[in-house]
Amino acid sequence: MEFVSPEGLRLDGRRPRELRRINCQLDVLSNADGSAIFEMGNTKVLAAVFGPHAVTRRSELREEGALVVCEYSMAAFSTGERRRRGKGDRRSTELSMVIRNTLEQAVITELLPRSQIDVYVQVLQADGGTRCAAINAAVLALAAAGVPLRDLVAGCAAGYLDGTALLDLNYTEDSGGGPDLCVALAPRLDSLYLVQMDNRLPVDTFQAVMELAREGCRTISGVMRAALLEHTQRLAVARGITAAV
Amino acid sequence: MSAATEECGVCVGDRLGTTDTYAAGEGVFVRDGFVIASVVGFQRLEPSADPGEKPTIHVASGDTRPLVPKPGDIVTVKISRVAQTAAHALIMCVGRQALGTEFKGVIRQQDVRSTEIDRVVIYDCFRPGDIVRAEVVSLGDARSYYLSTAKNELGVVYARSATAGTAMVPTSWVTMQCPETQAVEKRKVAKLESLVAA
Repeated sequence: MEFVSPEGLRLDGRRPRELRRINCQLDVLSNADGSAIFEMGNTKVLAAVFGPHAVTRRSELREEGALVVCEYSMAAFSTGERRRRGKGDRRSTELSMVIRNTLEQAVITELLPRSQIDVYVQVLQADGGTRCAAINAAVLALAAAGVPLRDLVAGCAAGYLDGTALLDLNYTEDSGGGPDLCVALAPRLDSLYLVQMDNRLPVDTFQAVMELAREGCRTISGVMRAALLEHTQRLAVARGITAAV
Repeated sequence: MSAATEECGVCVGDRLGTTDTYAAGEGVFVRDGFVIASVVGFQRLEPSADPGEKPTIHVASGDTRPLVPKPGDIVTVKISRVAQTAAHALIMCVGRQALGTEFKGVIRQQDVRSTEIDRVVIYDCFRPGDIVRAEVVSLGDARSYYLSTAKNELGVVYARSATAGTAMVPTSWVTMQCPETQAVEKRKVAKLESLVAA
């Protein structure tokens, strides 16, 4: 299968270093303390944040900081073939752990000792890059909930197919068998919170793919920042804190 | 408090200035000499009272910030259970802000008042349902925060009488009276006048 055409276009018509269309919606659920929908092309992820509240399981209580609990699940209707997907399977458990690790580094947990923050992530539409989209949605939801964060962390995937580094793989490219790198970056602090890769890659190629993924993270963080600012401005106008601009 | 001097939207991770020119306030943190926002909201510059001091920079979101009780906070609690050695309570407010969820607290016998602490009878100080002003002493054990009412302005602020169920009026720092039945009940009463005068 040809992933990059001789004209230098990918299967969905993108250039190799091009992201998919991003759309962020904030505070979509009224019951949650913070919630967000993050869309990237045909991938669509909903995240809801509850808390900080008192720890529900006492054995997991942390004296020095907040406990972040994460639950990742895929909707049965999220993929092309309808399939019953729970939250208990291996893939979901692993992804929950990955998201939780990333968020625990992003949240300033020291400010909220002995409390718990619940993050529920649900994939509504899956078209590759759900891991990164889930992180982005969760970070947006945390920011919307007003949880103190170190930086606006963003996640992005990159791969290497047909001798070209490709940014933000979709499902077809993801299942193309090539290496797939998932990165979460705190852009202002320039520190990596997550690096995951399946398959092997030579070191120099890895550097190129990694740099591409980091660049993608910075761009995505910028888009998320703009969405958050616009949302805050809209809320402030609605509440009469500031005048409309 | 001084009036806001500047209003502009900032996002998590934005550098607002250096520590040479600003002091860090609410919703920001300091890293590598920079003052960085930790929440999305509006930046507010508070000039210091002392002319030589740096102005404080705050970031406040439109709604209230998530909150957990910390030692030294004055909290408003509701007594849930009274035992021989301690009164158990649910923390409802921290300062002036209501909590979204209830955190558990406990007022131990030795923390009820500052004098004669070994002769405290908990049953004569609190009853279930009382609203009490208390101070957070420490994060306590794994179950609950340790609270104290060992100050004049701390103690029961609202209690209903056992018989009539009407709100009682404080008559001294250890008694409250029901206006309907004239029955006198014992409580560790908060002296709120001292707060108003201060």
